[in-house]
Amino acid sequence: MKKILIIIIQILFLHIFLFMGYGVKHVLPIPIPASMIGLIFLFLGLKFKMVKLEWVEQGGNWLLAELLLFFIPSAVGIVNYHEIFSIQGGETVLLIAFSTVIVIGVTAYVAEKILNRKRSNA
Amino acid sequence: MKMILFTLITYIIYRVSKKAYTKWPFPWFHPLIIAPAGLILIISIVHVSANQYLDSSRLLTHLLGPATVAFAIPIYKHYSMVKKYIGTIFVSITAGSLAAIISSFGLSELIHLNSDFMISILPRSITTPIAIEVSKEIGGLPALTTVFVILTGVIGGAFGPLVIKGLSIKAPIAKGLALGTAAHGAGTSKALEYGEQEGTFSTLAMIFAAWITLVFGFSLIPLLMTSIH
Repeated sequence: MKKILIIIIQILFLHIFLFMGYGVKHVLPIPIPASMIGLIFLFLGLKFKMVKLEWVEQGGNWLLAELLLFFIPSAVGIVNYHEIFSIQGGETVLLIAFSTVIVIGVTAYVAEKILNRKRSNA
Repeated sequence: MKMILFTLITYIIYRVSKKAYTKWPFPWFHPLIIAPAGLILIISIVHVSANQYLDSSRLLTHLLGPATVAFAIPIYKHYSMVKKYIGTIFVSITAGSLAAIISSFGLSELIHLNSDFMISILPRSITTPIAIEVSKEIGGLPALTTVFVILTGVIGGAFGPLVIKGLSIKAPIAKGLALGTAAHGAGTSKALEYGEQEGTFSTLAMIFAAWITLVFGFSLIPLLMTSIH
């Protein structure tokens, strides 16, 4: 029970950085999501020792471990898009599969090549 | 009241589907497939519309915000790794993000995909909150992008290990970077099955890929879109 309470309090604390992100967006209309700006603020806070890791670690780890949960409602929203069940929907799924395989291949191949070169240089 | 009820039901279904997936790890048993499928079934039985459900479960969707903020924690913890491999991270993820945009664009042209679908597909490799933001900015439909992001995650989680094996990729760092760049959070949860280093680099890839795609979202993508009109 105590652990759940700590997680809840820390998640509420993380909102401060989210709100800072909204604040920045309000002043400067930059096309970066508030949460990404909040990420930078939290990182800087941790790096410059203004925020202690213990203040956010348990809540943050819970959020990251359960990330899939937060996508589920949006996935249910798929029923609002009848087009997805049409022929183009099928083609789109194939396109995504094909492109995703390419991305994994390209990224892994490039990273492995660079790492191998680094190793042989060392 | 409805809010508590649907949040709770979603949470329970999610737990059960996650447990089922650890027991039977087939791609179509992915929690992002069976949990939404189960929920769609439930809401249609109790005659609740999808929009009513979405409204009642918005607390869960909202948590994507603080979850994105929380990605600062792994970056901070693994800062020395980030510094050491910043070149590798940057080059491979830029290559991967470019491959994502160009291959989606080229394939959409090939099959004459309608432009709503096409624009909504382009930012799909990155994590939902940012993908939605990019989609809005380039004129896509955010809800459609969400669906494509999820599809990408499921497909990446399922086929990723096969591609990695097929190309005989050995370095844990390369595996992590590939899964995180191609399939965001779902890829990262797959990467964690390999090991902690893979998981770390997948997390880093997911964050950096979001940034890089954001940049492409305002440069390369509008350029490609005007080239076809």
